[in-house]
Amino acid sequence: MKSPGILDHAFGAAYAKRLGGLPGAATTALDALRQRARVTLGTDGLPGPKLEEWRFTPLRGLAKIPFIPAASAEDIEVSDVPLSVPKIAGAARIVLVNGVYRPDLSDQDFSGVSVSPLSTKNVDGRELLGHLATPSAAPLVALNTAYMAEGIALHVHGAAKPIHLVSIGASGAEPAAFHPRVLIVAEANSSLTLIETHVGLPGQPYFSNPVTEIVLGSGAAVRRYVEVAEDADAFHLATTAVAVAENATFEAFHLGLGGALVRQETHVAFAGTDATVKLHGAYALSGKSHHDFTTVIDHHVPSCKSNQIFKGVVADDAHGVYQGRIHVARDAQKTDARQLHKALFLNRGPKVDCKPELEIYADDVQCAHGAATGEIDPDHLFYLLSRGIDPERARNLLVEGFLADAVNEISDETVRDVFVGQIAGWLKKRGVQS
Amino acid sequence: MSLLEIKNLHVSVVGKEILKGVDLTINAGEVHAIMGPNGTGKSTLSNVIAGREGYEVTQGSVTFDGKDVFAMAADERARAGIFLAFQYPVEIPGVTTSAFLKTAINAKRRAEGKTEIDAMEFLKLVKAKTKALGMADDMIKRMLNVGFSGGEKKRAEVLQMTLLEPKLAILDETDSGLDIDALKIVSEGVNALRAPTRGFLVITHYQRLLDYIVPDFVHVLAGGKVVASGGKELAKELEATGYAKYQGAAA
Repeated sequence: MKSPGILDHAFGAAYAKRLGGLPGAATTALDALRQRARVTLGTDGLPGPKLEEWRFTPLRGLAKIPFIPAASAEDIEVSDVPLSVPKIAGAARIVLVNGVYRPDLSDQDFSGVSVSPLSTKNVDGRELLGHLATPSAAPLVALNTAYMAEGIALHVHGAAKPIHLVSIGASGAEPAAFHPRVLIVAEANSSLTLIETHVGLPGQPYFSNPVTEIVLGSGAAVRRYVEVAEDADAFHLATTAVAVAENATFEAFHLGLGGALVRQETHVAFAGTDATVKLHGAYALSGKSHHDFTTVIDHHVPSCKSNQIFKGVVADDAHGVYQGRIHVARDAQKTDARQLHKALFLNRGPKVDCKPELEIYADDVQCAHGAATGEIDPDHLFYLLSRGIDPERARNLLVEGFLADAVNEISDETVRDVFVGQIAGWLKKRGVQS
Repeated sequence: MSLLEIKNLHVSVVGKEILKGVDLTINAGEVHAIMGPNGTGKSTLSNVIAGREGYEVTQGSVTFDGKDVFAMAADERARAGIFLAFQYPVEIPGVTTSAFLKTAINAKRRAEGKTEIDAMEFLKLVKAKTKALGMADDMIKRMLNVGFSGGEKKRAEVLQMTLLEPKLAILDETDSGLDIDALKIVSEGVNALRAPTRGFLVITHYQRLLDYIVPDFVHVLAGGKVVASGGKELAKELEATGYAKYQGAAA
C-alpha cells in the first residue's frame, strides 16, 4: 500500500520503456545499479508534501507533468553552448546536453585528471558509484540512479587543471527529463577546482535531476562552484553526496539565479579527522522562482570543521528555502560547526523558509547557527541617494553588498569575479524596483 | 541669484511641527553657521534640504540655484550639487568604500555629460585626497564606514565632499564625536574647499568648530525659527551666555 507521503508521477514503467537501451547497458554493474534503483523508486516514489524534508519544496507541480526521457526525444537539437554561459579562463570545458556527454562541444586538454563517460568500459573508481548517494536514502537519488543515461567520472591524480562542467537542458515538443550523474574521486593530496553551470533553453519545461558523488582522499582539496540559472519553467533537483577523509578540504559555493523549482541538496560525511568543509551559497530570485538549499553535515569523527554561509535575495513571488542539519556524533569531540542563513526581501510578495537543525551528542564542541530576514535599510538607501546615486543603482549596490558576505567566501578569485558578474547581470536584467 | 534660498519653511514630522517658518539665504562663497539648542530642528533642516523621507513640508519653499528643491528627488539634488555630511554616517557592510566612491563619482560625471572615470585616474585621485586628509591608503578597500572610528567616519565624509565638489555643502554636527586633532584635520579639509563658487551651511551645537571653520554669518535656530543672525562674534557671545534667552524668545 502506498503511504500518504508518496506522489503519483510519470517516472514509472512507461517512462523506463521509452528509454530503450541506455548507454553502458552491457556494463553489468551499471545496469544492476539501475535495476535496483527502479525497484526502490517503484516502492518509495517521489516525496509528497507530508515528508518533512520536502515540506517547503512541494513536487506536486513536477509530478503532474508528463515528462518523457530526454534520450528518447528525437526533436531536440543543441548545437551550441548558450551565450549566457560564462567563459572561465584557464578551465577545460566539459559539456553535457540533457545529461549526455558531448565531445564535440567539450575541450580535451585536461591535466591531472582523467575524464571518462560513465559508460566507458574501464572507468577508474566506478565501483564507488552509488556508495555515497544511495537510492534508498533519497527518492531523487533513486530516480537518478534508475535512469542515469550517461554521466562523467573525474579521477583526480594530482594538481588538476580546473574543469568547467556545463549542463544544458532542453525539451522538444514534449517536456523532457534527464538524470546527469557525476562521480569525482580525488586521490590523496590531489586538488581540483570544478565550476558547474546549469542552464537551459526556453520552450517546454525540462527536468534536470543531477546526482554528484565526491570522494576526497586524505589531504585532497576540492573546490566546487555551481551556478544554477535554469530556464524560468525548468525543474532542477540536484543531490550531492561528499565524503571527506582526514586533512582534506572541500569548499563549495552554490549560486541560484532561477528556475521554476530548484533544490540543491548536499550531504557531507566526515570520514577522517582534521578535515574542513566550507559549504556556502547565495540565491537571487524573481518571478515565481523557487530555490531550496538543503544541507546535511555529519560529524562522525573528531576535530573537523564545517562552515556554512547562505544568503538570499527574493523579489516578486519568489520562494527561498534553507534547511540545514548538523549532526555531531558522540565521538566527534572538538567539532567546529557553524551555519548562517540571511534573506533580503525586495518587496512584500516573496516567501522564505528557514529550518536549522542541530543535533549534538558530543560535549566538547563549538556549534553556532543564525538566521535573519530583512528589507533594504532606508537609511542605507538614503545615504547612497544623498551622494547622487540613482535609486536603481543604489539598490543594486546594496543587494550586491548583502550577498557579498557569502560570495566573498569563494577562494578562487577568477570564479568569484565571474559569480559577482552573474549576480550583477541578474540585477540588471531585473531592474530592481520597489 | 542666491545659491540657497529658504523662505518661510514649515516642516512636520509625524504630525508634529518642527520648523515653524525658517528664512535663510546663502550666496555662493559664503559660510553660514546655524547654532541652537538640541531638539530645535537643526538636523530636520539639513535632512529636509537633502531629501530624506519622513518629513512633511507644510508651507514655504527652498530653492537651489533658482530651482525648486522639493521638485527634485534626493539623488537629483545631490547631482545638482547639494551635499550633506552626516552627523552619523551609516555603516554599509558588503559595499566597499571604493565601489561606492566610484559609483558616486560616475553618477555625477554622467549627469554632467562626461565619460566615466577610469580605474587608474580614480585610484590616483583618491590616493591624493586621502593623503591630504591623513587617511590610510587602504581605507577605500574597507567596507563603507564599517568599523570606522568616529574620526574616520567624519574624515570619510569630508573625503566624499572633496571628491564630489558640491556647490552647497551642509555639515550636520560634523564636530560631534571628534577629538581636537580629528577636528583640526576635518576643518582643514573643509577650509580647503572654501571657494567663491561654493556655499556652506555648518550646523553645530558648540562654538568650538567655528574656531576652525570661521563663518561669515551665524544664525540661531530656536523653537523652529531663526531667532537671531549676526557675524562670527555672535558665536562667541552664545558661548558665553548660552541659549537661554533665545529659548525664551522663541516660546
